[in-house]
Amino acid sequence: MFMGKRTLTASVLFLLIVQANAQISVMKLVGNNTKDYKIGFGAFIKTGLPVSAAADVTIELGADIFFMSGYGTEYGTIMCPLKAGYRYTLNGTGQGFYVEPQVGFNLIGITSLPSESGEDINLKYHGVVLAAGAGYLFTIGGAPFDLNLRYETAVAHGGSNNFVSLGISRIISFKKRDTE
Amino acid sequence: MSMKFYLIITAIAILLSSCLKQSIPDAMLGISKQTKITATLRYEINGNLVSISVDDADRQGPGIHTLDCTKSSVYILSALSSSGEFVFTFFTDSLKVGSYNYTSAYGPMYVTTFQGKSQDVYGPTDHMIFNITTYKDGHISGNFSGQLTPVITAGFPNNIYGVPGSVLIKNGSFNNVPIVY
Repeated sequence: MFMGKRTLTASVLFLLIVQANAQISVMKLVGNNTKDYKIGFGAFIKTGLPVSAAADVTIELGADIFFMSGYGTEYGTIMCPLKAGYRYTLNGTGQGFYVEPQVGFNLIGITSLPSESGEDINLKYHGVVLAAGAGYLFTIGGAPFDLNLRYETAVAHGGSNNFVSLGISRIISFKKRDTE
Repeated sequence: MSMKFYLIITAIAILLSSCLKQSIPDAMLGISKQTKITATLRYEINGNLVSISVDDADRQGPGIHTLDCTKSSVYILSALSSSGEFVFTFFTDSLKVGSYNYTSAYGPMYVTTFQGKSQDVYGPTDHMIFNITTYKDGHISGNFSGQLTPVITAGFPNNIYGVPGSVLIKNGSFNNVPIVY
């Protein structure tokens, strides 16, 4: 069953992340044999540490869920990537448009599928995660926000799960930029 | 300069990983969605050749499969030909390269139908030996042989058997038989 022990853990993590900072995204798996999946959802905690006027080093812990079409919440894929990134604003101010490469590790990866004989197949994996994103940093009422679009790929066992994500988050920073 | 370097490295890495033609689940299950794999099973039974070939073995569709090895609590290799069914059970929950031997000491076991009669592992020297020589990308290949006893009159558990060990299976081989979950 999709709601196994690890899945439950991932789901709890997903909810905790959502509760913590409401940083969310919508996602779409792309590539071979992904038409059976519905639009997915991601929740993540992301923080940045300014390293220059233009750039931050970022750390992101996320939980991404993709359910299979036609099976409700019984079958699908969950991944929980932990990533480090380098967010560089194009105008050099720490605001406005930015680009961000990320690299990380998939802490939990589970795909649950129905077999032809009607039994559940539960596949567990980890692997390297790579992402490239772009976005826009802005403030609303003094609160900094990040609207972003990224392409992400998780690699394991000679295959890859690829998806495109559109997200919005409130920025958490442990250090003020020197220029502020 | 350093930002360009990181971006280029990331772009190349993502490009290369995206070139992987399979998703992680497909790779783990050994499902090839890009190429057709032909599965075959051939053997001689008392000198008569039986040959089964399936062109696109990974896509035999729902329902009856012509040739596959289904995993449940054990692995059951089954094939259908014009002469009837052929079945061998690997009594393991984790199939690996190696030899799997079934003798009549474990009890009678149906293997195939030949000349309209069931052929069982039954007689004191009856057996089936399957050697899996390769297990790659969710497909098994290997060879097999055996000695069986015909069922003259079916009436399990009180079958009436013919001459013990009178049916020989020789030169058995199987290639690219898909494991089905």
